[in-house]
Amino acid sequence: TTHISEPEKTLRDFSEALDMWVSYQTKTHPLSLSLSSQLRLILTPSQSTKLSGSFRTGKRLNIKKIIPYIASSYKRDKIWMRRSIPSKRAYQILLCVDDSSSMGDNSSGPLALESLVMMARALTMLEVGQVGVLGFGTDVFVAHELTEPMASHDAGARVLQNFTFRQQGTDMIRLLRTTIDNFREARQVQSGGRGSEDLWQLALILSDGLVQSKDHARLRPLLREAMEQRVMVVFIVIDDAKDNKQGHSVLDLKEARFGSDGIPIIHRYLDSFPFPYYLIVHHLDDLPGALAALLRTWFAEVNA
Amino acid sequence: MEQPSIAELGAQVKVTFTTTDEDIQLPESKRQLLVPADIRRYGLSRILNAESMLDTDNAIPFDFLVNGSFLRTSLEDYLQGNGLSLETNLTLQYVRSLIPPAYEASF
Ligand SMILES: [Mg+2]
Repeated sequence: TTHISEPEKTLRDFSEALDMWVSYQTKTHPLSLSLSSQLRLILTPSQSTKLSGSFRTGKRLNIKKIIPYIASSYKRDKIWMRRSIPSKRAYQILLCVDDSSSMGDNSSGPLALESLVMMARALTMLEVGQVGVLGFGTDVFVAHELTEPMASHDAGARVLQNFTFRQQGTDMIRLLRTTIDNFREARQVQSGGRGSEDLWQLALILSDGLVQSKDHARLRPLLREAMEQRVMVVFIVIDDAKDNKQGHSVLDLKEARFGSDGIPIIHRYLDSFPFPYYLIVHHLDDLPGALAALLRTWFAEVNA
Repeated sequence: MEQPSIAELGAQVKVTFTTTDEDIQLPESKRQLLVPADIRRYGLSRILNAESMLDTDNAIPFDFLVNGSFLRTSLEDYLQGNGLSLETNLTLQYVRSLIPPAYEASF
């Protein structure tokens, strides 16, 4: 019998991908450093702000312990509270890059790859856990496994080889489904190994933000599911229209629908955008600050 | 025939409107739009005439040029016929229609 295999994905030439990686890495190095130092403060809290416990010495008296202390003739003297040491956090981070052809038509594609390199470098420098890369379009593929280190230029080039922006659709539903499932599996693997750590999972989507509006409603339950599984999803809309005179910003994008009376109703596309945490990046320089601010807000909300 | 309600939203295509007529130019921020993929000339014309678009006093019937030829099918069929996907951003050049209004319904 004849085996009909899946059509082979066309890869970018390795030496071209290597040149891209090296030039993006050099160009974005200061941004990677900036993102890395900003994220260090947010992702790895070194000091707990809460005072607790009962100790013989400490920062502040525990008022509730004073009466028993006196009543016990000063024997029960563990009356002090200290700052508790926060448990070490570990992260699993998936960078999900839009490989659909709408990314190539405008110049969002190259900017997304540059952002990918900048962020991957920053996260590698941070050493907070595992970093993987997914690509998505009509289907979802793994460009870099979570469990693999992204230590060399060659490893980076192999990631970039996967992105050619030729996929003929943008299936965001499939991306979220796959991301949630991958994270569920990765959490099980991780907790088998290093159980004491506090594991956080983060998906950062890099895309032009163009998703069929009919999918918006179907994405909401998936986003809820992600939240219930403690997976944070951040949508980074790559929107370089301000630099590109031909382009138009997604901020201006409208959509027209026809009511049952046949009259067109026109509203802003982003009004029905289902991702609660998203940011719009016009220039790569904006990304470190914007992402850090968003993650800071999110951590403040979950810790509240 | 009953029109589809908003709830039964179908596929969309991103279009960019251009024109060479100075007097019917759209402002920069209104030139790109997501429209139903099954839309035809008449629907596109209605959108352009809408209050939030050109806001014309009397509706102007428009024709649309896509890659140099007049659009005579739905956008969906045009894309399919040219081997293009819904990821494509179609540039539609609009011109005042030369078709007499009486024949309007046949398109
Ligand atoms: Mg797309």
